[in-house]
Amino acid sequence: MVIGGLGDVLSWNPYLAEDQTTVEILSLVYPSLAVEQVDYQDHPPSFAPSLATGWEPSADGLELTFFLDPRARWSDGVPVTAEDVAFTFRTQRDPDVAWLGSDAKDAILEVAVVDAHTVRFRFDRAYPYQLMDANEGPIIPAHAWGGIPYPQWRDVDWGERVVSAGPFRKASHRPQQELVLERNDGYWHQGRPYLDRVVWRPMPSRTPLLAQLLTGDIDLVNGLDPADIERVAGGPRLRLVSFPDRGYSQIRWNLRRPHFSDPRVRRALAMAIDRQAIIDVVYLGRARPSVGPVISTMWAFNRSLQAVAFDPAGARRLLAEAGWADSDGDGNLDRDGVELAFELLTNSENDLRQDICLLVEQNLAKVGIVARPRFVEWGTMLALETGGDFDAIVSGWIEPTLIDLGPLWHSSPPGEPTLNSVGYANPEVDRLLEAAAAVATFAEQKPLFDRIQALIVDDQPYTFLAETERLVGINARVRGAVINDASPYFNLDEWYVAREADVR
Amino acid sequence: MTRIAIRRLVTLVPLVWLVVTVTFLVVQLAPGSYADTLDHPRLTPEARQNLRASYGLDRPLGEQYLRWLAAAATGDLGSSYLFKEPVAKVIGRALPPTLLLAGTALLLDLGLGVLLALAAARRPYGWVDRLTTVLGLGIYGLPSFWIAGLLILVFALGLGWLPASHMHSVGAGELSATGRLIDLLRHLLLPALSLGLVGAAATARLLRATLLEARASRFVLAATARGLSPRRILWVHSLRPALLPVITAFGLALPMVVSGSVVVESVFSWPGMGMALWRAAEARDIPLVMGLTLVGAAAVILGSLIADLLYAVADPRAREER
Repeated sequence: MVIGGLGDVLSWNPYLAEDQTTVEILSLVYPSLAVEQVDYQDHPPSFAPSLATGWEPSADGLELTFFLDPRARWSDGVPVTAEDVAFTFRTQRDPDVAWLGSDAKDAILEVAVVDAHTVRFRFDRAYPYQLMDANEGPIIPAHAWGGIPYPQWRDVDWGERVVSAGPFRKASHRPQQELVLERNDGYWHQGRPYLDRVVWRPMPSRTPLLAQLLTGDIDLVNGLDPADIERVAGGPRLRLVSFPDRGYSQIRWNLRRPHFSDPRVRRALAMAIDRQAIIDVVYLGRARPSVGPVISTMWAFNRSLQAVAFDPAGARRLLAEAGWADSDGDGNLDRDGVELAFELLTNSENDLRQDICLLVEQNLAKVGIVARPRFVEWGTMLALETGGDFDAIVSGWIEPTLIDLGPLWHSSPPGEPTLNSVGYANPEVDRLLEAAAAVATFAEQKPLFDRIQALIVDDQPYTFLAETERLVGINARVRGAVINDASPYFNLDEWYVAREADVR
Repeated sequence: MTRIAIRRLVTLVPLVWLVVTVTFLVVQLAPGSYADTLDHPRLTPEARQNLRASYGLDRPLGEQYLRWLAAAATGDLGSSYLFKEPVAKVIGRALPPTLLLAGTALLLDLGLGVLLALAAARRPYGWVDRLTTVLGLGIYGLPSFWIAGLLILVFALGLGWLPASHMHSVGAGELSATGRLIDLLRHLLLPALSLGLVGAAATARLLRATLLEARASRFVLAATARGLSPRRILWVHSLRPALLPVITAFGLALPMVVSGSVVVESVFSWPGMGMALWRAAEARDIPLVMGLTLVGAAAVILGSLIADLLYAVADPRAREER
């Protein structure tokens, strides 16, 4: 079983990892207390037992007790115990380790070892995402790593110190060439995994990925471009799997720019852009219209909201209302001698976003607005965006299953790090966001989320474009694979490879 | 000759310093830092800022530069942000594949180039000459990544004869020593051709011209008058003086053996210096970019030194001059 991708494992210590691929692959090597399920459509995601066979909240909602599977063993034979869970928590909070996800543990005061297989998390308050936060980050081996002082962690060769308690263990790793995980015989789940070995082949670009999927050199590519669908679907030995992946694309308007500070202009921009054309032409139909800041497949989505309809005539009326007219007869709108023109930025690595820019440029030209597409490399785009040095950006977010609209939409004071790069500030939204963060249950959160979404859709600080699908190409010989947006390797321990004769 | 060598070695240090200093400035001019390029799912803006601080990216430029320089002067190239291991280790791992690939490409370059030039120079403006001229100019005009794409299309995707990427097949570790060698050679062929063909075309053009020049010279006339065979005149009397400019070109190509070809290595997932530089530049991994540039710059200067020494060997006049 060979998996091709763009990334590689860059550190064998999950708490020093700084990239998505490493996190995903290490989740096969180090165990988790529970496994998040992909059932966020109608309610917040539930969790299935994994290292923990069960868990129990205390009556006051401030404690969560986990019961560990007594059969669990590290690959060197040492049992996985509550001490490992407590050590993991100390690591997650340690300033020298500086784990990127440590904010997930902000509300946890203490992780106490009750006995070898019972561990208790104590929280500073009752809130809906306690289980998700407690479960964040894999469990690491206290007996093997506990003796190394944290300040030295960044100098350790972790590849030499891998002790596994997941379905797989490290067999070999040649950076940027090949990573082999092999079956962990000591895995406590009887009979699993089925695969003996899984090989990752990192590639520097997308082109060889598709080529080698077609030649059968690799069995799985996670994340194909829509343009690849035809070739994959046409391959007799290939299967295409697709699902909504919580991703959505949008145009982010810099609200500090005078052009975009008027909500009428932003609404007009949204009305002038033919979203369906973008979905048909750029995503080849593999997308749905995006409505607002929560994706439509998520339980928290406000189902009474509608996407802004394509209406160039209406857009022209709104722009005229806002004072924009073609006074010099050059076909472009202007006001007080200034043209309604701006730079539309996106990253040059992403062909889809560049195509979107070109379509938007055409759409807006028809209502007299000049959009000048500019393509820069990813790091440059991020720097321009965080510096607020842009007019408009075509970009995308992946919506976390933990709904927290604060980082994107709260108007934090200037100078503070924030994801609200457009400078959106609505006092009512701020108030509602703070209220949503303070309540104890999902039921109390939902009406607040609904109201926040309605206000943001009204303000249109983004033009919400499309909710995307993840496209996975997989060789037909691979069976049993459940691939979803929780992880490409969601049930890798249940995958198997069919005999040649059975693949038809 | 020793004096030339010593003089050149003395100028090596300030030159390398100049190159790495300019590199440092150029890398810093690019917007964004390592912390900005990360895609970790839980990366909050605060965490990004902490990360910047933990790598010292929030320090003033001058301080970052002096720190790097002071450490590099003692032989410590620092740790790669991206690969989380010492830069020296990353370079140590990337150097052998690049030596192998670029070395093979250079051999192809010289071997093919000299053969083609000799074939062409035997009968100037004959059909062999015309054919090699057209083919040579055609290939010379193509960028190597385009040739790489064409080779992959024909030999990997079309005919399926050769692999399109990486240095080994999946499971190559279980093959016998001979099997592993054959596997390696199969992976080596396409990238080496992508790099070597352009060079061979250039070498052939250059050498053909100097061979024809030598042919018109008086010592060839004298050799012909003495009744030497045309073959002997071409291979022995004309080739040696004609090789001089080729040696210079060869010396200029030597750094590629150490620094690798960024594009070809990346296209073929060849785990050498060029691909490391690509990844490092993309990730704004400053210590790794600096380390790779340092080695590359030293290689350029050493390469031209070696070319000068070879020149002295090939041309007695260069040796005797004082």
